[in-house]
Amino acid sequence: MNTIPMEYYLLISAFMFSVGVTGVLIRRNAIVVFMCIELMLNSANLALVTFSSFLGDPAGQVFVFFVMTVAAAEAAVGLAIIIAIFRNKLTVNIDEINIFKW
Amino acid sequence: MLTEFGKIFIFLLLAIGFVGIALFAAKLIRPHRPTKEKLLIYECGENVEGSPWVKFNIRFYVVALIFLIFDVEVVLLFPWALTYQEFGFYGFLVGVIFLLILGLGMAYEWRKGDLNWDRTKPNIPELSKILTNKNVSNVKIDEQIKES
Amino acid sequence: MINEILNSITFIYPELAVSIFLLIIVLVDLVFHKDKKYIPYISLAGLVITGILVLNQIGITHFAFVPQLSAVKKYGMMTIDPFGSYFKLLVVVTSILIIFFTIASEEVIDLKERLGEFHALIYGMILGMLVMISASDLILIYLSLELLSLSSYVLAGFLKLRERSSEASLKYVIYGSVSSGLMLFGISIIYGLTGSTNLYVINSLIQGPQINLFTLSFSSILMFVGIGYKISAAPFHFWTPDVYEGAPISITAYLSVASKAAGFALLIRFIQTGFTSFISEDGYWTLIAVFDWQALLIAISILTMTLGNFSALWQDNLKRMLAYSSIAHAGYILLGIAVLSNQGLIAVLIYFFVYMLMNIGAFYVVMLISNKTGSENIDDYDGLGAKAPFLGVALAIFLISLTGLPPTAGFIAKLYLFIALIDANMIVVAIIALLNTVVSLYYYVRVLKHMYLTKSEREQENITPSIGSLVYLLVLLIPILFFGIYFTPIVEFARSCVSLLGI
Repeated sequence: MNTIPMEYYLLISAFMFSVGVTGVLIRRNAIVVFMCIELMLNSANLALVTFSSFLGDPAGQVFVFFVMTVAAAEAAVGLAIIIAIFRNKLTVNIDEINIFKW
Repeated sequence: MLTEFGKIFIFLLLAIGFVGIALFAAKLIRPHRPTKEKLLIYECGENVEGSPWVKFNIRFYVVALIFLIFDVEVVLLFPWALTYQEFGFYGFLVGVIFLLILGLGMAYEWRKGDLNWDRTKPNIPELSKILTNKNVSNVKIDEQIKES
Repeated sequence: MINEILNSITFIYPELAVSIFLLIIVLVDLVFHKDKKYIPYISLAGLVITGILVLNQIGITHFAFVPQLSAVKKYGMMTIDPFGSYFKLLVVVTSILIIFFTIASEEVIDLKERLGEFHALIYGMILGMLVMISASDLILIYLSLELLSLSSYVLAGFLKLRERSSEASLKYVIYGSVSSGLMLFGISIIYGLTGSTNLYVINSLIQGPQINLFTLSFSSILMFVGIGYKISAAPFHFWTPDVYEGAPISITAYLSVASKAAGFALLIRFIQTGFTSFISEDGYWTLIAVFDWQALLIAISILTMTLGNFSALWQDNLKRMLAYSSIAHAGYILLGIAVLSNQGLIAVLIYFFVYMLMNIGAFYVVMLISNKTGSENIDDYDGLGAKAPFLGVALAIFLISLTGLPPTAGFIAKLYLFIALIDANMIVVAIIALLNTVVSLYYYVRVLKHMYLTKSEREQENITPSIGSLVYLLVLLIPILFFGIYFTPIVEFARSCVSLLGI
């Protein structure tokens, strides 16, 4: 019985992470940026679960539970802040949110 | 010998087949009497036609945020549920404290009025001299159907 | 197992006290929601109790929450040691000062309705910092970092009607989430390499020969991104000036001292327990030859202080200038860690104590003046030395101390830092730091020039601070002047607190 090797999971995780980082860097809509950040966190989750399963150590899976909670809290705080800024500026485009300069 | 991917493939085939057969069987058995209302796609009471970029009531977001947080925090109860018996009464106590803190969060939201839906006052149409109240509502519904 | 947990609880009384008072504040806020003026006093009471509990812990060395599973050696998830207690005390004292700060700050007084949330969130930050200081497990490190970050995101944008505040908050949350995401990925790789999340176990495992050096270096750098963002080290400092300018002044002062202190404590613990193989007689740490932390830290710290100092030169907003100055100070403190010796650590501890006094003091004066004039712009400080003599003198002393000139405690802090650098034969680095100090003199003195030498074009009324503010400023000023002359007590205290729970 051959199982899926660990590398496959890790490659997917690394790919998701890269997509997330790229999205954060190039997307201009604050909500999309938050979705990309979620992608980064979830790629780390995938890596953690993979390691946990292949090492036979439950700590990684428990960690994933906590990360999921933190990610939800982060999304909630982020969305609340986006709503606050939308009420002030009527935009969520990061390029237009630029009072502060060097 | 099947690989893991092979199993997934068989599962996929079964799933597609199941949906196909179910839909086909339903088509044979069910009566076919479409009306305008029935053909509308049901989507949580929102209008489904028009631009997807309509502005939702901001209340939806607040409720969604509150739901999201409580929903995800319940995940933390799963590991606790697996092991609390080993710790006897203290294990139980930990869960109770966790739920009490969650409850405090709930009470906070309630007290701050984030759970109130802030109903806009019903816009009672002024009774015109010709139409009775009942007729007004009927007319309104007819208009809505025409629009949609 | 249950006994171990119950026993461990006796070692986390400060954290427990903070959690309980957090719940009390929320409850009081809910029950008496007509009258909120008692909430600051409740949070003060909680902090005093926490401070006493931390004082009781000084000198104790213990592992808390040791998992039963690790068969060989008993390493816990939390480490109680004198080093941690020192930083916890620092955080609690800073928090007490900040609560008094908020009582005087117009911005916070205007909140009225939302005062309960404000204090509850500050308590969230305190809890995050206290746990972060003593965490020796990657899970706990990540969670406490996030608890601290999430509370401070909201606090930075607490004046939600002010456009700047919301924008600061959005920038903070985006930078923060990205760097914590990078850090989490680093943690997952470290976990995959070693199969453990405990720093002590990781330390013993990476000494083995079969560790992939490239992967470990990569994950260490990712970890450093998360911590570096918290301490606003150079390539990750972009959020700092914006957030410090946009946030309420009390929160700016708090972020610049307490959350930075917690970040540094985490960095020191991470390097010392995770990557040090042994500590020699004369106090130098020998790193495991897997990743050259010293080179990274020196490079980052030079970059940080140079960028901070040179950007501060042309800032006209005082809050923003102090933000860049706090970046520069983070650079100096990083040098103290880069020495990788107990002497450098003593310098860091002294530096943080002095930095707390002078930075909060400077922000307090800025806050009092902006309460009156509604502006933090340097042009509005023209002729302030005559209009508000006491505030002028106080700000002058704080700024001189921030520069590090002799009769103040800031000089002692820098002196110990340079002694540690020269003792470790890092002469070139010491000279670069010294040149940076000279640059910093320019922008600090520029404020003094505006206050004393420039005539104001507009008529301003005199600013007389209230009795409470006078006492507050004196409480900060007297130690700065006193320790500038007689500094043995803090040095001795720092020396007694330098030991981390060893390998």
